[in-house]
Formats: sequence, C-alpha cells, structure tokens
Amino acid sequence: MKNKFAKLILPAFMVTLLMLVLPSCEKKNETDNGKSGQTPAKTGTDMACDSCDSNPQNATDVPTPAPAGMVPVDVTYPAAVFVGTPANLSTIPNLEAAYPEGYVRPPIMAPKGTVNLARGKVVTGTDEDPIIGELAMLTDGDKEATDGSYVEFGPGKQYYTVDLGQKSNIYGIIVWHYHKTQRVYNDVIVQTADDPDFIENVQTLFNNDIDNSAGLGVGTDKSYIDGNKGKLIDGKGTQAQYVRFYSNGSNENELNHYIEIAVYGTPVQ
Amino acid sequence: MVASSSESNSNLTALNRRSFLHTTAAIGATAAFSPIISANSPKKDDINVAILGAGAQGQTLLNACLKMGKNAGVKFKAVCDIWKDNNLKRVSGQLRAYKSYGHTGTAYTDYQEMLDKEKDLDAVIIATPDFWHSRHTIACLNKGLHVYCEKEMANTLQDAREMVLASRKTKKLLQIGHQRRSNPRYIFAYEKLIQEAKLLNRITTINGQWNRSRNACVDLELNPKMAGIDEKTLNKYGFDSMKQFLNWRWYKGKGGGPIVDLGSHQIDIYRWFLGGRPISVMASGGIDYWTEHQWYDNVIAIYEFQTPSGRVRASYQTLTTNSNGGYHEVFMGDQGTLDISEAGSRGSLFREIAVDEEKWDPWVKKGYITKSGGKMKGQEGIQDVRGSIPAAQYDLSVTMDKPYHQPHLENFFEAIRGQATLNCPGEMGYETAVMVLKVNQAVEAGKKLTFKPEDFEIAG
Repeated sequence: MKNKFAKLILPAFMVTLLMLVLPSCEKKNETDNGKSGQTPAKTGTDMACDSCDSNPQNATDVPTPAPAGMVPVDVTYPAAVFVGTPANLSTIPNLEAAYPEGYVRPPIMAPKGTVNLARGKVVTGTDEDPIIGELAMLTDGDKEATDGSYVEFGPGKQYYTVDLGQKSNIYGIIVWHYHKTQRVYNDVIVQTADDPDFIENVQTLFNNDIDNSAGLGVGTDKSYIDGNKGKLIDGKGTQAQYVRFYSNGSNENELNHYIEIAVYGTPVQ
Repeated sequence: MVASSSESNSNLTALNRRSFLHTTAAIGATAAFSPIISANSPKKDDINVAILGAGAQGQTLLNACLKMGKNAGVKFKAVCDIWKDNNLKRVSGQLRAYKSYGHTGTAYTDYQEMLDKEKDLDAVIIATPDFWHSRHTIACLNKGLHVYCEKEMANTLQDAREMVLASRKTKKLLQIGHQRRSNPRYIFAYEKLIQEAKLLNRITTINGQWNRSRNACVDLELNPKMAGIDEKTLNKYGFDSMKQFLNWRWYKGKGGGPIVDLGSHQIDIYRWFLGGRPISVMASGGIDYWTEHQWYDNVIAIYEFQTPSGRVRASYQTLTTNSNGGYHEVFMGDQGTLDISEAGSRGSLFREIAVDEEKWDPWVKKGYITKSGGKMKGQEGIQDVRGSIPAAQYDLSVTMDKPYHQPHLENFFEAIRGQATLNCPGEMGYETAVMVLKVNQAVEAGKKLTFKPEDFEIAG
C-alpha cells in the first residue's frame, strides 16, 4: 500500500500541485511598458474578440492556489501586435474568452531549477520543408509576431515533435502559433511520450478537437485566440522525453504556423 | 478561361442583391444568406487570377479566396511583390501548397514583367500601398484584365478618376474593396430593415467609430533575422527606407492615415444607407500621440447630408490610443436605432418607446429581427423629466459565417462570369474617396469644407 501510494497517489497529488499559480506571486511582467509615444509596447494585451465569450474568467490559465516550495518560472512574453482587419470569429464553436486588456498572466509555479527544456532542441515533424522559415525556429527563443519569427507549414493536420534530450518532469508548456492577426487554430493537441514514435506512455495534456477530426480522441479543452502570451498548458508534472504538437489549420486558412514552443521542466535525475 | 463576362459596371442597381434577398421571407433570413459558393458547389468556369501586393492585406484577400474552396473556379497563376524574401516567398509557397486547387503562383517582383509574361490571366487582385493603386490598376486594365483593387482606391482624386476612366475605356470591371457592400448583414440591414420595413423611419443622426488601442498601432519593425528589401528597389518603388515600407499607411503621399484606412469603410456605409452625398464636412485631428507619424493619429469628423427627408448629421471618429467601443456604425432615426458592425456579434435594433411594439411585431414574425429582451444601455429608466424610457432591443436575424472579404470577392468573380453586377464599382469607390480624402483637408484647413454635386461626378 505504501509502495502504491509512493508510485501512484503521491505523484498524482504532486502533479496536481506543480503547475499552479498564486495571485500573491503576480508580478508585473518584466517587459511591460507604460510609456507613451513611439516606444513599442513590449507586453500589452492579447487581442480583444468581439464575438467570443466575454468572461475572462473562462480563459484557461486562471490562477489556482500553489503549494509551498514552488517558485515562479521566469517567462518572458513578446510584444502584442495587431495588423489588419479583425477576423470573423463569430461562428467558431467552443471558443474561450480573449484575455482582457492589461491582462498579466500569473507565473507558472514549479520547483526551483525549472527552465525551458525545449530551447535549442531538435524539432521534427510531418512537413520538414516549410513554406517560410525553418524547423529550428520553433525552439530558438524568438516569440515575436513579426515576419521572420514564424514558420509556415503545409495545409491540413500536421504535427511537430520536440526531443527534450532525456526524460524530464514537465510542469508547463507554452505554444505560440501566430499572433500578428487574430487566429484560432483547429485541433490543437499536445501529447507527451517516452519514445519518438509515440507508442510508450502517451499522455494527452491538451486537446480541443471536439469532433475528433484529428482522430486522436474527442477533446474537451476550448479553442482560443492566439496572442502574445501564447497558450499555457498544464504540464501536470508529466514525465516524458518527447512532446508533440498537433494542429489542423486555422480560421484563416488550412496552413499551420508556429512561432515558438517552450516546455518548462527539469531533467529526471 | 472565362466563358463570358459582363462588360458593364455602370448599372449600380441592387437587382442582384434583391433577387438574392427575394426568398428571405419564405425560407427565413439566415438560410437565405447562406454562402453563394461553398466547397460542395458545382465546379465553375475557371478565372485565372494574379495577386499584386502580397503583404498583410494581400494575404487576407488570398485567404478569403482559398476559403471559397477547390471548386470556386479561381486559379491563382501569379503573384507579385517587391519583398522577395518574405511576402513573395510566402504567398508563392502557399499557392504551391494548394497546388491541388489548381494554383501555380509563379513569383514576380516586377508587375510589368508579370503582365507581359502571364498571357492567360483574366483578373488581378491589387493590394499594394495606396499610392500605387492607380498605376497598377490602369496597367492591368490596359492589359485587358478585370481588377479588384483595395481601398482607398487612390491618394488623390485625380488618380482615382483616371482609374475609373481606364475602366470605362477598356470596358473591364473595376471593383473597389469596400467589402461591407457585399456583406449580407449590411445588405439585409439596408434593404430589409431600413428600406422595406422602415424601422428607423427618418434617419436624423449617424455616429460611427473605429477605436484601436495603442498596442495595435505600434510601428512594425524589420526582424533583424530576415532580409529586407535592398535600398535601390525601395527607392525605385517610392520608399525611402524599410521602415517606411512596413508602415507606409502613416506617411503622407503613401497612405491617408487611420481616417482613410479605417474610416473609409464605414463612411462609405453612411452614404449607402442614406442614399445621398454629403454637403459639408468639418474635422479635427492631429499628431497627438505618435511622434514619428506624418498622418493624424486621432480624427473626429462631422458630415452634413441633405436627404429628401431632411438634414442628417453624421459623426465619425478614429482613435489610435484607446479601443473603447471598438468599431461600429449607429444609424439613429425618429422611430428606431440600428447599431451594426462588420464584427459579426454586433447587430441590434432599438425601438423607440413611442413606437408601439405591435408595429415591429410583423417584422419579428417575418424573421427579419428577433426580440432580445434587452434594453438600450445607459438608459436605466426615467429619473427625471429629462430622461427617456429605454428603447427595446432587437437583433438582426442574419449572420455571416465567412471571412469578411469573401462575399465581396465572390461578387467580383460572379460579375466577371456575367452572373452579377459589381457591388462597388470604381464610380462608387470614387464617391467615397471624395468624402474621405476631404476629411484630411478639413483638418488641415481648420474649417468646414463644402461639397458640390459635381465633385462626385466623373465626366467622360
């Protein structure tokens, strides 16, 4: 019984607690900028959405209490940018609230020593000859919305896998698809596994494919408008070496885009 | 290639729209406004298209075309942009990715070369900076091609006039990108709610706005990781720097500032819904916040219209420092108010309390509007004799599930096939340009400026 507790219940408890946030730990983002005039805003806000759920509390990175001993993970966010005519998002089902103006995301709480393990790691995927950009840009640390920061991949369902190099404890994942204009990506699914073929110990951490069009099971997570803060996904303390990201085009077109993927965790000792 | 094409763009009647609307009452408004073209539609005669200008707006228009589906009969054969390492590479690559749709997307940096080499084109979509619209449009028309040109059709009325004259001379279609003209929600609001049901009765006032937060207005910068455009090419095409190329909308002689970029779309609707032209405009604006810009960042304008029903005052503001209220247009009559926006979630009518509910009930039964149960905000009740009982709220029954530009592009392609008339031909775009470009003049003059009827006419 004690052994079972150690192997199953305790990790489950820790998993629940690890990717947590404390309102009291909120800090003004280090790149926030309140100056007027020409100086670009370094953080700012995700784009408002006229047509989606207006209750910001329905956004899925709402803070929950964190256990003692956790420390905030250092995450920097890119500048908020918006170019062009707003998109027609009025008919997208299952769409969660846009972050309100001035929203500052509470920090990811995780054990000391947690870093972005994906930075500089090798990415492989279903389309390794992008329309624009290259695979290495997914983990190069550049999260900006500007042209030259994103990679554009072919149409339809595509996935990309980052090899963390060794089995790791994953506490939080942030993915930035595209945030220069309002985009809602279809069938966003994030999985982890012990092997590159995703056969051993496959865990689904996020899935908003509500009609199972990607064939990986019906998801219960919400669709969302991509923004400068990316999409935060609870890592739940999952142990894995590989993290895979699926998408299937967006409200704009069938193409797939990534600016950056970040996996916050620690190597398993 | 196109089997047949309509060479007339002067018939501005709404017959196409009216026939489209004809069955609304019988089958329900929403159903009647279902897509004209869907992915399952029968294959149409192919129209071979080039896209000239592959930046953000060109990308938006391309995306809208791709959404029409494989059988829409629109084949992108070429793309032209002077930013070879980004815009051109991206869009030509996208078209190759959509090869199964019949796109090829041969890449060009020189539009003249594209027009000379691409012998099989029918039409060109132009989404270059405003100050290039006239030259590009006229070159394409003279090659015998139909043109869809983004608004603002030109920076000067002389350039805009020459575009219209070229269209007339070549007998080729010229559609200007005021896409609300093809938006089924706007068409429905005008033809059914204002014209037929007369729910507003006499319109006396219009208010409109497009407010954006400062974060939405920060200048774009070239990513240091990528190659820009060489100086020689920039200079050849009228730009003194990469920064100016990326932010041309803020520069005099290149764009017209927010009043033209944003206001033009909505002020165009003022004229459409009133069925007339303004007689004057006064405006205030300035470079109040963005110190490196040449065009006014915040502008407030007031037009006066003289309609058969009487005088109408119409205000419009565009801000670049505060997004409160977003973007919408409010048409106020002595019996009701229409609050509408291109944003799909915004479309309400408010019945003045002096109007009996029974008077609007037939339109509810007919499916034109639905009772929302809400009340006009800011009027919680009579507090004293100066207040009014709040107006009752109704919602538009028509929705649109497409990208905003798609119906306007569909109208263009259907017109090429001879199956529709243009919803915003050059003459119509010209009248809007007359209205909008005058705002910047009024700001500069610091006084009310008047319009003469002949200002809106193009002889020849």
